[in-house]
Amino acid sequence: MLARSFVRKLATASTTKSAAKLTDILIVGGGPAGLTLATGIQESPLLSKFKVTLVDGNDIVDKVGSFYHNPPDHFTNRVVSVTPQSMKFLTEKLGVPLMQDRIQPYDGLYVNDGITDVHLEVEKEEMLHMIEILNIQSSLLHKLSSTSMNHDNKVDIIDNCKVDSITSSVKGDPTSWPLVKLANGETYKTRLLVGADGFNSPVRKFSGLYSRGWQYNTWGLVATLKLDPQSLPIYKLRGWQRFLPTGPLAHLPLPGDNASLVWSTGGNEMSSLLMEMEPKLFVKMINAGYILTPTDLQYYLDAFKEGSMTTEDLIEDIDVRINQVYNELKDETLIDEKFPPLVVDVVPGTRARFPLKFSHADSYVTDRVALVGDAAHTTHPLAGQGLNMGQHDVEQLLNALEKATLRGQDIGAMLSLEPFWANSYGFNNVRLGMADKLHKLYHTDFAPVVALRSLGLGLTNNLSPVKNLIADIMTGK
Amino acid sequence: MISPRLFKYNALKQLKFAPVTKCFYSTTGSSQEEISHFKDLSTDWWNTNGSQRILHKMNLARLDFMRTNLNKLMTIEDQQDKDIFIPGYNYKEFLPSGISSIIEKDLDKEIQRMLNEKQFNVLDIGCGGGILAESLARLPFINHVTGIDLTPECIDVAQKHAAKDPTLDNKINYKLCDLATVEDKFDIVTCYEMLEHVDNPHEILRQAWKRLNPQGILFLSTINRDFVSWFTTIFVAEYITKLVPQGTHTYDKFVKSSEIVDWFQQRQPRKHKILDLKGTMYVPSKGWVNHDCPSVGNYFMAVQKLKE
Repeated sequence: MLARSFVRKLATASTTKSAAKLTDILIVGGGPAGLTLATGIQESPLLSKFKVTLVDGNDIVDKVGSFYHNPPDHFTNRVVSVTPQSMKFLTEKLGVPLMQDRIQPYDGLYVNDGITDVHLEVEKEEMLHMIEILNIQSSLLHKLSSTSMNHDNKVDIIDNCKVDSITSSVKGDPTSWPLVKLANGETYKTRLLVGADGFNSPVRKFSGLYSRGWQYNTWGLVATLKLDPQSLPIYKLRGWQRFLPTGPLAHLPLPGDNASLVWSTGGNEMSSLLMEMEPKLFVKMINAGYILTPTDLQYYLDAFKEGSMTTEDLIEDIDVRINQVYNELKDETLIDEKFPPLVVDVVPGTRARFPLKFSHADSYVTDRVALVGDAAHTTHPLAGQGLNMGQHDVEQLLNALEKATLRGQDIGAMLSLEPFWANSYGFNNVRLGMADKLHKLYHTDFAPVVALRSLGLGLTNNLSPVKNLIADIMTGK
Repeated sequence: MISPRLFKYNALKQLKFAPVTKCFYSTTGSSQEEISHFKDLSTDWWNTNGSQRILHKMNLARLDFMRTNLNKLMTIEDQQDKDIFIPGYNYKEFLPSGISSIIEKDLDKEIQRMLNEKQFNVLDIGCGGGILAESLARLPFINHVTGIDLTPECIDVAQKHAAKDPTLDNKINYKLCDLATVEDKFDIVTCYEMLEHVDNPHEILRQAWKRLNPQGILFLSTINRDFVSWFTTIFVAEYITKLVPQGTHTYDKFVKSSEIVDWFQQRQPRKHKILDLKGTMYVPSKGWVNHDCPSVGNYFMAVQKLKE
C-alpha cells in the first residue's frame, strides 16, 4: 500500500515535470518594450509563425487595456518624450493605433543654466512627441487583440502572474531551453527567453549577464500640471528644462493647458519636502524654480522645512519676488520668451517620486536569452531617452530575429542574437553616457565648472552645426 | 614565393584515368586522415565561439546565397485573377519610398508563397555536425533534408544536436554512408566546404549530379588553388590567427572554380546552367562577404540541371 502510493507520487511528480508547455519566445514583462516586441513578432510575416507567450506580474489586459476605451479625463503622470524614429517604428512599421488626442508634438527645447542663466534653444518643428506610457501600452494591447483575430497564432498573455524561478532544462548546459516556472503553477520551456522585466530583471539574474552602474542620490519627481491658460504660447510649443544645482527641472507640454513635470531633486530630503507640501505651494515652488535664483528656491525650501513661514506667507513672498523679476525685464514680451507658462495647479494624485540610477549591462545576449529596455539599461530622465532606447532595442532584436529566421537559424542561438547586441549597444552607450555626463556637469555650483559649462552652452547655442548634431541625437537620427 | 608550375594540376586529366576504388569508405576518395581529423573536431562542432565559428559564420552566407538563387528562379506571372502589381524596371528610382516598399513587400510575400509550395528535398553531402542541414530543415520551403558523412562521430553529434529542437522532428535524416550508396533523387544537392577534403572531387561531382532531379540545383563551395587561398586559409587562418584548426586544409586538394566550370562544359554540355558563381571572403567585422572575383580564394556556385 505504502509502496504503491509512493510509486504514484513519483509518477505524478514526473508527469508535472514533463508537462512543461513549449513556446518559442517567452517575454517576461508587459511594459512598453515587452508589448512592442510581442506586437512586432505578431506583425512580422517572418516571425508570426512563432508561438509567443508574455508574462507580467500586474493586471495588464483588463486594467491597462481598458485605458484605450475609457481613458480618464486628466493626464496620467508617467509621460515619455518619443523621438520621430520611435514614433515611425510604432505607427508605420507596427501599425499601432495610438490615441492621437492624447499626444502632444512640440517644436523645441529651451534649456538654461540655473546659476548663470546662459541658455540653449533647440528648435525643430514637431521634433518630439509627449505620450503617456499608458497610451502606448494600451494601444499595443489593442493592436495585439485586434490583429490576433485574423491570425491563428496569437500572443498568449498571462498577467497577474509572477515568475517563480528560471532554470536551464539541462543542468549545466546554457544552450538548453530555459524552464520558466510561473506563480500559477505552470512551467514553460522556451526557445528564447526575453527579459523586458525592468531594472531588477529576474531574467538578467538567470542569464548571468553583468550590469554595472550607480545610484544618482537623486529622486525624480513627476506630476501632471495645469498651466495658466492666459500664458499659453500661441505658436512654437516648447519644452522647458532648467539645470538647478540640485538637478534639472523640466516641464513638457501635453494637450490643452496640461504639462508634464519631471523634477530631479537632489537627495531624499528635498523630494520628500516637495511631496508633502500643499499643492498650491508646490506649484509656486515650480514657478520659483524657473524664474527665481537657486538661492531663492533653497531659502523657501528651508523656510518650509523649519516652519518659519506659513504656506500663505510663502506663496505671497514668491509672488512678490516673481513680479520683481518680471519688472526688471526690459520688455514684457521677454516673459514668454525666457520663462515657461505659469503653473496654476497640479492634478490630484499625480505627484510621485522614484530614485534615479544609471545602469548598463555588459552584454544584452547570451545563449537563449536577450535583454531589452530597462533590463539592459536605465538612465537619468534629463535627456528623455529611456523609452526610446527600449524601442530601438526592440527594433534591432526584431531585425536580428527576422534575419536569423530567413537563414533557418535557431532564434535562441547566440549566433542569431549577436547582431542585436552589436547594433544596439553603441547606440545606447552614446545616450547613456550623454545623460550621465550632463547630470554630473550640472550637479555642481563649483564656480570654474559653472563658468566653463556656461561658456560651452552659450557657444553651442551660437554654433548651429553643433546644435543640429545635438538635435539629431535627441530625436534619434 | 610559390611557383605556380609546382601545382600544375589538371583535375580533368585525373578524371579520365581516375579508378573508382571500392573500399568501404571512399569510392569518392575521402582519406582516413581526413575522416579522423573531423572526428577530433566533432565535440566542438556546435560551439559557435569555438574552433568552428568561422564555419558557422560561413553557413549564414551559404543560406543567403541559396535563398538569393532560389528567389531568382521564382517568376511571378502577370495574372488577371491575382492582385499583384508587377512594377517596371528600376521602379524604386521613380516611385516614392513608401509605395515602392509596399510593392517590394507584396512581391516578397508572393515569392515566398511560391517558394513554400515547392517543398524541396535536399541531400547534404558531407554534412559534418549538421550546421547546414539544420538550417535548411527550418526553412518553410524545404520538405526534408538527408545528411550524409563518412565520420561516425560527426553523424552522432549531428543526430544528438538535431534531437534538441522539436521543430526538426522528422525533417532530417542523418546517414553514415558513402555518396555512391545513396539511391534517391533530390531537388537540391549541396556540397559545401567538401570538395577540398576529398581526393577525387570530379567523382563527387559526377555522383552528386546523378542524384539531382531534372531542374534540380547543385550548390557547392570550395577554395581556389591559388596563392591567396594558401595565404588566407592555411597560413593566416591555421597558423597565425589559429581561427581554423591546423590540418583542416591541404593545398593540393583545393579546386579552381574554372576546373569545375570546365568539367561541366565537357561532361554535361547543354545539360547544365551555371546560375551563379561568386567569390566570398571573410571580413572579421562583417562575416563572409560575397564579391565578383570567383577565381580568387573561396567561392560559391549554383548549377541547375536542365531538362533532358
